[in-house]
Amino acid sequence: METRSVVVEYPSIRGVLRLYDQGVSFKVDQGDFLAVLGGSGWGKSTLVNVVLGLEKPFHGSLSFREHDVTRESFVKRCVLVTTSAAFQRPTALPQMTVSQNLHLALSLAGVPRRERDDRIKEALAFFGLDKIERSYPDGLSAGQRRRIDLARALAVKPELLVIDEPTGDLDGSATNLLIPLLRGLNRNQGTTIFMTTALPRQASQAKHQVHLGPPAYLTPENRMIGD
Amino acid sequence: MGIVALETSLGTIGPVSFNSRLWLSLLVVPPTCALAAVSTTTRRTREELALFAYGGSSWQIFLRYFFRGAICSLVAFSPVILLEFFATAPIRELVLSALALILAGGLFYSLPSLRRIRSSSFVEHYKS
Repeated sequence: METRSVVVEYPSIRGVLRLYDQGVSFKVDQGDFLAVLGGSGWGKSTLVNVVLGLEKPFHGSLSFREHDVTRESFVKRCVLVTTSAAFQRPTALPQMTVSQNLHLALSLAGVPRRERDDRIKEALAFFGLDKIERSYPDGLSAGQRRRIDLARALAVKPELLVIDEPTGDLDGSATNLLIPLLRGLNRNQGTTIFMTTALPRQASQAKHQVHLGPPAYLTPENRMIGD
Repeated sequence: MGIVALETSLGTIGPVSFNSRLWLSLLVVPPTCALAAVSTTTRRTREELALFAYGGSSWQIFLRYFFRGAICSLVAFSPVILLEFFATAPIRELVLSALALILAGGLFYSLPSLRRIRSSSFVEHYKS
């Protein structure tokens, strides 16, 4: 995956909010573990959305396997590179058990029914969720819900795993558990990981880092104002 | 209640060639399904976000709600359809009106979701 001079702009009360002022460019090779480091409001989640095709950049391009996918949807990008995402906000469906959530994800990903049970067992065991597979997400802790999302993303066996602030709402012990799990996933299964974080200590666990700068505001007169 | 009210007020001036009760029900289905869809926005947004995150396309999500709305409309109006069937209404008219009910129910139940998913603010929900 490669981005070139990606810039995103949003209209705001102060004018136009411009993220990645000079444009963000990076390349992620197969088997890489890239961490994007930046402060709150600097566009980490937006960059995740841009990578997934959920938001389109104002300027710049993004390519998967040297195909320009800047204007392509998430589903079309998945044809080129099997991609899974775990967002900042837990997404597990509350009316389904942990296991049923994973089943649904695999059915949407087109995984044959006979393979699903094995994959789910493997993913739940990897994240230590095998004992709560029949529980409902709303009765679980924030850390467990976060791990459900990661297990769901892992069960698809993606080539690219995109994770937005994986330890955002976790306590210290859960954080200490999660980052080694991600490193193990990258090392043992060769999954390419694209992760955002606000913590330099976490970013240092990745093979490569990209540092985002603060956003800028463009006034109607096109005058730059520092944040 | 909607059908009864409409039948009372409009039944006499409805299209002569069609059975009034079936076709009047078409006036009730769209607003009822749209209202049902809108009234569950919070729960459905969470569901849509999950389905989207799980790799579902907007069309898959649209179809999921379309079928849900279509089935609800068919089940809700099956007594009316059966009543007309036993009242020896023309089969062609029955099938046409049932299809129209299903289509209207499905569309109006799923359109709010499709509109939400395609809006630029939808993915903002993923950010905390």
